[in-house]
Amino acid sequence: MNIEKLKEIVRTVLPSVDVVIGYKKGLDALHPVPCFVTSPDEIDALVLNPACTHNLAAYLPSLKKKTAVVVKGCESRTVVQLVQEGLIKRENVVVIGVPCQGVLSARKVLNAINHQPVVEAAFENDAVIVKTRKAETRLALNDVASDKCLTCQYPTPVLSDHLAGEQVESKVDEQAAYQDIRQFDAQSLEERRAYWLKEFDRCIRCYACRNACPMCVCRESCIAETRDPHWMSQKATLNEKMMFHMIHAIHLAGRCTECGECERACPMGIPVAKLKKKINMEMKELFGYEPGISIDDKPPMYTFKVEEEKIEEHKIR
Amino acid sequence: MKTSAYLKKGKEKDLIDALDTKARLQGHVIVPCLDGDTVTFKPAEPGCTPCFSRPAVSPPKGVIYPQSETLFSFKFKKDPEDARRTLIDLNDAIEAPDTIIFGARPCDARGIAIIDRAFSQTDTPDPYYLARREKTTIITLTCPEPSTGCFCTRVGCGPAEKSDSDVMMTEIEDGYLFEALTDKGQAILKNPVLEDGTAHEARAKEVQGAAHERMVKEVGETDTRPVDPELFHSQAFWEKAAERCLGCGACTYLCPTCYCFNITDEQVVDKGERIRSWDACMFHHFTLEASGHNPRAAKALRLKNRIGHKFVYYGEKYDGIIACSGCGRCIRGCPVSMEISSIVAALKEGTKT
Amino acid sequence: MSDSNSHSSGDRGGSEAPHPQAGTRTYSEVRRGEQRSDNEGIHMKANWSETKNPYLPDLATVIGVIDETPNIKSFRVVLNDEEKMKRFSFEPGQVGQLSIFGVGESTFVINSPPTRMEYLQFSVMKAGEATAALHDLSVGDQIGVRAPLGNWFPYQEMKGRNILFVGGGIGLAPLRTLILFMLDTRKDYGDITIIYGARSHADLCYKEDIEAWGKSNDVELILTVDANSPGPPIREGFVPTVLNEVAPKPDNKVAITCGPPIMIKYVLQNLAQLGFNDEDVITTLEARMKCGIGLCGRCNIGSRFICKDGPVFSLAELKRLKFEI
Repeated sequence: MNIEKLKEIVRTVLPSVDVVIGYKKGLDALHPVPCFVTSPDEIDALVLNPACTHNLAAYLPSLKKKTAVVVKGCESRTVVQLVQEGLIKRENVVVIGVPCQGVLSARKVLNAINHQPVVEAAFENDAVIVKTRKAETRLALNDVASDKCLTCQYPTPVLSDHLAGEQVESKVDEQAAYQDIRQFDAQSLEERRAYWLKEFDRCIRCYACRNACPMCVCRESCIAETRDPHWMSQKATLNEKMMFHMIHAIHLAGRCTECGECERACPMGIPVAKLKKKINMEMKELFGYEPGISIDDKPPMYTFKVEEEKIEEHKIR
Repeated sequence: MKTSAYLKKGKEKDLIDALDTKARLQGHVIVPCLDGDTVTFKPAEPGCTPCFSRPAVSPPKGVIYPQSETLFSFKFKKDPEDARRTLIDLNDAIEAPDTIIFGARPCDARGIAIIDRAFSQTDTPDPYYLARREKTTIITLTCPEPSTGCFCTRVGCGPAEKSDSDVMMTEIEDGYLFEALTDKGQAILKNPVLEDGTAHEARAKEVQGAAHERMVKEVGETDTRPVDPELFHSQAFWEKAAERCLGCGACTYLCPTCYCFNITDEQVVDKGERIRSWDACMFHHFTLEASGHNPRAAKALRLKNRIGHKFVYYGEKYDGIIACSGCGRCIRGCPVSMEISSIVAALKEGTKT
Repeated sequence: MSDSNSHSSGDRGGSEAPHPQAGTRTYSEVRRGEQRSDNEGIHMKANWSETKNPYLPDLATVIGVIDETPNIKSFRVVLNDEEKMKRFSFEPGQVGQLSIFGVGESTFVINSPPTRMEYLQFSVMKAGEATAALHDLSVGDQIGVRAPLGNWFPYQEMKGRNILFVGGGIGLAPLRTLILFMLDTRKDYGDITIIYGARSHADLCYKEDIEAWGKSNDVELILTVDANSPGPPIREGFVPTVLNEVAPKPDNKVAITCGPPIMIKYVLQNLAQLGFNDEDVITTLEARMKCGIGLCGRCNIGSRFICKDGPVFSLAELKRLKFEI
């Protein structure tokens, strides 16, 4: 993650766009925030480090401007998917790709430092050094990286007009991409059910997962609130919470680019990305399809053929 | 009459159990518990792990003002005298069990006090809220240290603020001092698990003073400056401030003082309920009218309303009181770390963010 | 302070509050609930039926349905509790929440005047879920009513003055209650002028009233429809334009307007150009509402709630609140 190279690119790109979306210093060293650069004097405030976790492509569908956006590998897939679905126009977006070795899970870091307020943080190649009022802790990046990064197949953006840094190869074998899900799936149905009921019980229906999701584009027509169709009530019961998360996950079948924003955004720490990844795994096995790889693809769920050529079960019969 | 009591460290659960046993028949004791790595207020059930070392992610307001509740149930029936007519039965019975919130923070208690005014100081007091409110005892823990995002002393609250609680519980070296602040609090102090606290009162007072000083040093004294009216009505200011907002409800649902709600009907065959549920003024659809018109269509307008409610409008109704307890939950819980404290500081400065 | 609701309705119109109020409870009473014995909270546990539960509607029966326009119907309702209906009183401009149980509530002005209490009339334009369900009602059907809510037109202060009504579409509903009230107490007021418009002849509401007002010497009625509407020849043009053409003088006149937001916006501008004072221009606002008691947070303009402190505001008040239509 090369901030100087990024600033240089932004300087070049800025005159040709209305806004550049990047990251700037935020709440603390673990929480940089999205920033919207519209003039050259704002460029120096840009930051880029493993704490820059937000998927900035999420802002693209609602911004009616020519926009340059800073994206890492998984987020470049979001741009591809948005273009693919016609939710943004390719010519309105300048993609500034950032090769990525993995980003932090602020939650994991906070757990590791006993939730002490962070005073400072320094980033090294494979570690983060976090300073609190009481102590300085060196944490291996691998131990505090977001779950999505541990199996990442696309550390280098799949689409970029400018690349801020050298290509990065995936450290994880393709076969191992869904190892975490397979491991989870090895549990019994009862165990998995109990797991999810316990997790969803915490849901406060704030819809941070939905609003942070760049592919959740129903917005005001989301079934979470609509009365027509009236599929869900506003009762804060476990059933309703579960129903929402299941619909959210199913809605993203063949569309989720595994950026993990849903899970990162959740203030209650519910591992909602796991559901989406599970569905992505099924989509890959069934249709041989991965979302957000090529602009010319069509999500399998967007089309219907009596004989789906890629569904393996036809061969089984 | 006891005004203070003492509990040795390690006996927290004994006290919670003892309180729970007393309240068990009718109600429950709500405690901040570890759930995975998230701390939330939950009924003190066997197996729950109380956690007092950091503030819960969400406040305990749901104890008094639940996320959803039935306002009344309705049932349709045929008119026995005219089969073509349908009659309706309504039932609005209100249930309010005795409840103890154990281990709230002063900002949590302040949050409830802020909602109290809205629900009671009106010609149409809210019976559902008042019923639960009167049955609830609040035991508040002196905040040992500031968390990221905390700014309570800037809005007139504080880590040892006592004015909104029934009992103040202060951690001292080997235990906790419990101080009764109300009659409800004195009833708590009668619990046999608690020892006499007189000998520890002075130390607790020191701890409280130190906690307050540390917070003031960290975030500053109460900011009494008014919001700059010109900036408050500046569209450009709010557009900039709301730029990265995702329009979710995390800030409002985690807020101890937010109380906006929705009312919806649910019906299954011949019966149903009218439900009140939390709603969030940050949601686009909150003010969306059936005609399609939306007076707060832009997220900038919604943010202005949310912050305006807390720092301008509420005070216009209630003696200049700020409807924010500075707990910092909206900041810590925001997916894009929106900082209400900085926005308000900018509004008071009269400068742009 | 014990009660913040010294809203404008209190000093308007009637001398006393229009509906029985539960005793005001101060914050300190609630905060120090512990100083009472548990039993004293007993009224909280009780079934808050009657009028004490502000969310519980009164059951009512539809006794008449009138098709006003292709998408507007009026409903005449009476409360099932005869005593309550007899005691029921309200002021012109106040609103009510109508319930279709299982669907929800929606807010409408009581558009019959308080001088004619055989029934309460509400007019409903089909727009969303609740209004669609209301349109399915027929005579004999049961609904819920929470009324009256909100403030009202300052008709006491209008005594002795000339009155100008400017309405568009279903915006005539809140004006109708005041027009009929003024006609029933005609001697209290000076000249009454009504400018009313709709998109087409078919979209004009309250056709019986309009016919009666057209023939009456008590009011001057100016009707207008958008261009090319088939029907008897009347003025053509948008209400704000017609207002300028008629160009009423502001002499001792109060203007009261209601209609679609865009119409109100231009009517307010035009009235100012015609020389009307902001204090003498009154409008009544609409918003998405749920609770109807100034609590749920939807319909506020700053610290004021349209459902409770409104819906009636003078232009001067709206400017103080920095409200833009």
